[in-house]
Amino acid sequence: MIKIENLKASIEDKEILKGIDLEIPKGEIHVIMGRNGSGKSTLANVIAGNETYEVDSGLIAMNGNDITEMSIENRALQGLFLCFQYPVAIPGVSMAYFLRAALNAKNKHDGKEEMDAVKFLATAKKILSDLGLDDSFLKRSINDGFSGGEKKKSEILQLLMLNPQLAILDETDSGLDVDALRTVAKGVNEFKNDNNSVLIITHYQRLLEYIEPDVVHIMIDGKIVKSGDMKLVHEVEKNGYSWLMK
Amino acid sequence: MLKKIQKHSHARFEELGYPSKKLENWKFSSSKHLKKYDSSNSGKNISIDHCGDEYTLCFVNGQITLESLNKFIYKDDMNILDIDELNDETTCSTSSNFEKEALFHLGLSTIKSGKYFEFKQGSKFDTPIQILNFYSKKTEALRISSFNIFKLNDGNNISIVEKDVNEGSGSFNLSLNKFICADDTILNHSILYDDNTESNYLGYNYYELGRNVLLNIDSMNINSTFNKNFIEIDLNKEGSEVKINILNLARNQQHLDNNILMNHNAEHCISFQNVRNILDDQATCVFNGKVVVADGAQKTDSNQSNKNLLLSRNATAHSNPQLEIYADDVKCGHGSTTGALDKDSIFYLRARGIKESDANNILVKAFAKEILQEFVSDDIRNLSENNLSHWIDG
Ligand SMILES: Nc1ncnc2c1ncn2[C@@H]1O[C@H](COP(=O)(O)OP(=O)(O)OP(=O)(O)O)[C@@H](O)[C@H]1O
Ligand SMILES: [Mg+2]
Repeated sequence: MIKIENLKASIEDKEILKGIDLEIPKGEIHVIMGRNGSGKSTLANVIAGNETYEVDSGLIAMNGNDITEMSIENRALQGLFLCFQYPVAIPGVSMAYFLRAALNAKNKHDGKEEMDAVKFLATAKKILSDLGLDDSFLKRSINDGFSGGEKKKSEILQLLMLNPQLAILDETDSGLDVDALRTVAKGVNEFKNDNNSVLIITHYQRLLEYIEPDVVHIMIDGKIVKSGDMKLVHEVEKNGYSWLMK
Repeated sequence: MLKKIQKHSHARFEELGYPSKKLENWKFSSSKHLKKYDSSNSGKNISIDHCGDEYTLCFVNGQITLESLNKFIYKDDMNILDIDELNDETTCSTSSNFEKEALFHLGLSTIKSGKYFEFKQGSKFDTPIQILNFYSKKTEALRISSFNIFKLNDGNNISIVEKDVNEGSGSFNLSLNKFICADDTILNHSILYDDNTESNYLGYNYYELGRNVLLNIDSMNINSTFNKNFIEIDLNKEGSEVKINILNLARNQQHLDNNILMNHNAEHCISFQNVRNILDDQATCVFNGKVVVADGAQKTDSNQSNKNLLLSRNATAHSNPQLEIYADDVKCGHGSTTGALDKDSIFYLRARGIKESDANNILVKAFAKEILQEFVSDDIRNLSENNLSHWIDG
């Protein structure tokens, strides 16, 4: 699905990603854990094409296509989706308008017809109710005045509406109460199938009690220093990160 | 009466001359290019086809057309006089600040005639009155001045929609208006400018409010080469509320300029100023907003907000919100922001597959709609939203 080779990226001449190698095959769920500031969100943003970061070297390929230089929107249209750690508020643009614009862009790219208003509403309402959100959510401005939990659920709503091939969840589990966490986990499991992949960035094992990862990576100072299975998560939870540093 | 006023204004203009950049209200807008407009035209010999319906007062080059007066549906609900016929000096007098404005006097001293429109007490004016200012320029360097007075009597509820239609070569349109709002009146004044003739517009609107008046000024302006607007409001008695919502869109070398003076002269009044400019290319804009709370105007609640969105590095916004407070128990806020489209917002939209140009347009519309959604009239809002889309598309 996605293959990253020796990726180095910086911001304002400060190197943050110092040579990342990562491959997530189709159908797998991978996890990245790591200390605050180790570069996890930077990696997510660089994969999504955020132009604030400079890619200094390396390669990002999706389904065999080099996307390192591709525009943000084209990556999304290729099936990449980032659940933002801090989704930005956009006053004056309703969720409904936004979701339709995104869906239409995707359908157009895929050579499909525009989704009509009736079908759009029916689909959106079904997902909203699964997420425990009111229909009126669609009328609100994007992330404007959303609670922490609503922001995360809004990202999952978009994930389920757009149904991408690779979803990167950047701390989508942070700041959620137990019920909301379960709801979000349910949403992710609903999305997951044998043909798509998920990359979960997290600090805690609690989301992973609902979603079973195939591989767990540990990131320290812009590099992936160790990869393993769920055991690694338990070890980090118990002993922290110091033992992983050279 | 008119002669007397004009004599005074003529003398004042001679004394003041064209405004220089040393004056606060003209610091960022030159009046130099206006000097060449020195011929005037009465508009008498110009005939136009689309004079509007029975709700329209149609002005051609500053003069009302007889045709529109004759078919005007509210003509029996109003007293319509020539300003020359008025005997009362206070009806014609305008603000002490306009008194300092040279070009206000230039306008006043060169009008051919002006109208006094008085709405009768007890009459109903359910459908908005449209004012169509038709400017037809056969002559180069034409300067067109107009002066009208609108008087609302106790209890009147009036909606006025003002539109300018420009035809021919560019001109200098100098529009002077006075609105007298007696106690318990409502005035909704909507102003829509959409020009494409390189005309210069300079407007002086003065509003004099009594007790418990509700005044809404909603304005949208696109494609003006030079548009400078003075709004002055005297809140003279308690209980009045003023809301001003202005959206200006400019590109190329267009210049937009809003000068608002809100005089809180009485207790318990509320005022909001909400002005947004969207500038592309080398366009410039100015916001001079001032709230003056007089001694004794307790419980004043006023807010000024000016937000400018720059779509190009070469666009410039000048913002100068000011407060002068001489009372102690008041709530006054003001704020001003100028900046480009938010990068994070653009990234967010694009990360969902929305094209960069579409993402930009969505954000520009959202910025504009925060003003348009405040417009009182649904019709004006819809019209403005259409204009907005057209402007964005090209
Ligand atoms: N836009 C930016 N401007 C300046 N520095 C940045 C920017 N984005 C990231 N950084 C820096 O890059 C480093 C990595 O940040 P990043 O957000 O990727 O960490 P993270 O692993 O996601 O941390 P957390 O677990 O706290 O979310 C930090 O030192 C951060 O300050
Ligand atoms: Mg992070």
